[in-house]
Amino acid sequence: MKRRSFLATTAAAAVGTQVLGGVPLRAFTPTNLPQQLTADDDRILIVIQMFGGNDGLNTILPVDDPEYYKIRPTIAVPKEKAINVLSRVYMHPSLAPKDRYGFPQLFEDGRLAIVQGVGYENPNLSHFRSTDIWLSGFNSSDPEKRLLDGWLGRYWSNKINGFPEVLPDDPIAVQIGGSLSMLLQSPNGDIGIALTDPQKFFELGQGLSPDMAVMPENTRYGREFNFVRTVAEQCDKYSTVVKGSFDKGKNVASYSDNGFVQQMKLVARLISGGLKSKIFLVAMGGFDTHVQQQDDNLAGLHPYLLEQLATGVGAFMQDALAQGFADRVVGMTVSEFGRRVQENGSRGTDHGASSVQFVFGNGVRAGVYGQVPDLQNLDGNGDARYQWDFRRVYADVLENWFGGTPQDTENVLEDRVLPLGILQRPTSVEDFYEGRTQVEVRVAPNPASTHATLEWQQSVPAVVTVELYGTEGRFVQKVFADRVLPGTVSVPITNVSTGSYLCAVSINGARTVVPLTVVR
Amino acid sequence: MNTRELFTNLARAAVRGPGPFDGAPLDVQGGLEEYTQPLTLEDVYHLYRRLSFGISVPDARVLVGKTAGEVVDALLGPDTPPDHAKPMQFNKWRDPVSGEMVEYTENPQGADLQTRFAIEAWWRGNHSKLSTWWLQTMVRDATAIEKVTLFWMSHWTSEFSFDEQYLVPQTILNQYNLLRNDRLGDFRQMALDMTLDNAMLHYLGGTYNEVGRPNENYARELMELYTTGIGHYTEGDVQQAARVLTGWKASRYNDMPAPNGMYVSWFDANRHDTGAKEFMGVTIPARTADNNTAFQVKNEEIRELINILFRVRPEAISRFMARKAYLFFVYSSGGEVDPQVVNELAAEFRASDFKLRPLFRKILTSSHFFDPALRGAQIKTPVEYVASLMKQLRLDDGQIVALDPQSWVRTMDQTMFDPPNVAGWPGYRSWISTNTYPRRRDFAKKAIDSIPDAKALDFIKEFPDYDDPAKFVAEVAKYMLPVAVSAERLAYYKSTLLEGQPDYTWNEKLQQAASASRSFKLLLKAMAVAPDFQLC
Repeated sequence: MKRRSFLATTAAAAVGTQVLGGVPLRAFTPTNLPQQLTADDDRILIVIQMFGGNDGLNTILPVDDPEYYKIRPTIAVPKEKAINVLSRVYMHPSLAPKDRYGFPQLFEDGRLAIVQGVGYENPNLSHFRSTDIWLSGFNSSDPEKRLLDGWLGRYWSNKINGFPEVLPDDPIAVQIGGSLSMLLQSPNGDIGIALTDPQKFFELGQGLSPDMAVMPENTRYGREFNFVRTVAEQCDKYSTVVKGSFDKGKNVASYSDNGFVQQMKLVARLISGGLKSKIFLVAMGGFDTHVQQQDDNLAGLHPYLLEQLATGVGAFMQDALAQGFADRVVGMTVSEFGRRVQENGSRGTDHGASSVQFVFGNGVRAGVYGQVPDLQNLDGNGDARYQWDFRRVYADVLENWFGGTPQDTENVLEDRVLPLGILQRPTSVEDFYEGRTQVEVRVAPNPASTHATLEWQQSVPAVVTVELYGTEGRFVQKVFADRVLPGTVSVPITNVSTGSYLCAVSINGARTVVPLTVVR
Repeated sequence: MNTRELFTNLARAAVRGPGPFDGAPLDVQGGLEEYTQPLTLEDVYHLYRRLSFGISVPDARVLVGKTAGEVVDALLGPDTPPDHAKPMQFNKWRDPVSGEMVEYTENPQGADLQTRFAIEAWWRGNHSKLSTWWLQTMVRDATAIEKVTLFWMSHWTSEFSFDEQYLVPQTILNQYNLLRNDRLGDFRQMALDMTLDNAMLHYLGGTYNEVGRPNENYARELMELYTTGIGHYTEGDVQQAARVLTGWKASRYNDMPAPNGMYVSWFDANRHDTGAKEFMGVTIPARTADNNTAFQVKNEEIRELINILFRVRPEAISRFMARKAYLFFVYSSGGEVDPQVVNELAAEFRASDFKLRPLFRKILTSSHFFDPALRGAQIKTPVEYVASLMKQLRLDDGQIVALDPQSWVRTMDQTMFDPPNVAGWPGYRSWISTNTYPRRRDFAKKAIDSIPDAKALDFIKEFPDYDDPAKFVAEVAKYMLPVAVSAERLAYYKSTLLEGQPDYTWNEKLQQAASASRSFKLLLKAMAVAPDFQLC
């Protein structure tokens, strides 16, 4: 990475209460107040899987980079057709479907965060391996290592008391359609159910619980028997619960007939009807656009998919706003990779690496995170380099949306990863009394040469750790860990090699992050 | 990649709970040495559940006492199986004006919308017919021909519907026939046939792969999914292989050149990259215009590419395929397969110079395969579940068609000839979810109810000692369920059959087809809701 872009990235990574990459839009809106949430909150996450590898470069458009038009002679979107939003970003026009609450409007209203350059080290260009990496939250460079369960499955299976012996009253996760995703699996069993049609699920699920005891687990047969038995029991139990929410719920926004849009409609209806699931998983396919992804009129498979995405998300948010649950939901897109920046010979794009991710909802700090991809500085395969480790948004979800601790993040991801700061941490009265709050941290000097000092005011005695992370969000080294008394705290940082860092100050589990540059 | 089943992909590594080799090992005593014990009735059922779609009671009883080697050799069938008695053809439709059957190959892309929808609807209809026909064929097949072909159709994936387009059903049928013929032969030949197969060229973009405009899609999957597995090639190898594969075209519509006939692939010399390629450290030399012919490029480049791959990566290929066959026929655990078993199978595969018959034979005649620790652990795929249930229930062609079984397979998350993506179906536990399990139960009920009373009585009489309710129930359990069930369960099944009445009432019921059938169906349904009815 060139030094100039390095520093720019660092500034953008300055995550905290006050500074944000790309300037947080909602900082200027009166809705950007800390939310009052109880510990037993009802926050919901919606995961939208875009299978096939979304072409990030034709989603958020680098129209000011002449290189973009050079390497994509037939499928680049001309600048005059791109949609410029708030002078910050150019979107593909398909993200603004006619008469819909599209992504430009969502962005202007402060409900959309755009993360550019999401990826990981040593990108894997296989759909399946990379999907496994994204869903498991493990970036294993060893291709033989089996990735067996999902980051959300691991987190929630540990959070729910007595799981899996005691199933919670409502399914923790609901997947619309298909077989249960790895995302929702854990070493202790599935945390969710898959269903397509609640009415049908109810009709077929009744009486499925087998009146049979659990088998001893000392044979393969016994284990598979028990697996099927539990699914049968879940059918019976949750078919009634889901049906109840479905009947009580409603939709007040208008949705189109497309499959994905209908999935979002069903999710809105189940939430509206009071289903207490924490996670909803919906999916779109077809992003593997090797051939004919877009014609001269900007029509084609990729624009079609973007239009469906924007239509589904927009209608859902309108529904959520009208029915009053918009503050409780946050959605994120995931896709296994972006496309090769250079188009191929078939008006399409081959598998690439880093891409664009969207996070939407009332709870997001809207804005653009990260830089436009540097098309002059590609990796060995000709792919855009990543700026953020994809797990940074996961850490955001765990710590700042579901209220987990940095230790939870480390346990779930088996790695120390810093939240990107897109979401706001729920602050409860207990958090406040126990000093589990973010503080204002000063760093001086910055840039530093040999040493720097971090300083902050602390109101309660607390366990404090100070860690350094790279700007992409991955752990570099531990600086300090101890119990600290109230007052002005100062921690020296020495012996750090030249580079840009994020200093994470964790006070009783609440993290504050400040940037630091070292030039030796 | 089709949208409607894309979640199957997300569930790829659908492993829940510890894998069998993760924790305390569950002892499998049997190694890969040949199992020489005379087969019991349970052994015969076990073998036919895995290597075919089950076997009737009278047929199974004949095989008791034979050896695994004898039965498996016969089951695998001849290298080149006879053509189907009722061949399928999908290239003709009835002309609405003349009423004649005419060949119809118009390109829907260029046609007006109405025509396009009509063509696509016709294809979808053909796809359903093809699926039903194959299910009927599976039920009728007394050998392992269709089961082994099913393995290959799940390996060399082609999707009927992908990227908002369709593979012409006739080309899928051709691919099926090719794999059926290649199923026990030289794996290299199969790889060559698939590389130049019309449906494959269309599906993975080979037909768009041209000099100066490479499309890497097939080149990557040839290695990642079809031969070596991931991690045994570089991105450079993918790019070089793509160059080797340039110039092959899939003729599909009447507005495309078809020098070898419709639906037969052909070579466009002008689109072939004639430069030298460096694949896995081996050079494939450049060629001049006059030796840039289909014959020469096929043999000197495509066959050579495959030969290099097998020469440089024999370990990876043999291990990858041994593991895959093991997962399909023995235990599709999401966990690791016992590395020693894989190594021995892989060694056998290499020793036979990549001939497939010895690999399958080794697995299926082994003590390992017949080991009690591996019985009843396999989750039936939807195709296996539906086909084997219809076969177990002795349904005839008419009853099968009336059930529309391919639509049931679809609701269980498997559309035949149409995997969710190029990696195929994720398999194992992903088949059973709150979404699909209720459908499985529902299908079993409907299939059982579809047996006419008179046939139900004939079916009952196939079981030995059928007039003794206790023995009858035990034999039915053996036939329907993969592992011997407890005495309590047998007692429960007996009381279900007798509807709580004393034993002697069974003989009264046997006098009346309607009442015998009613009780028998209650018994079958009780067995079909047991969790182990999903296992084989």
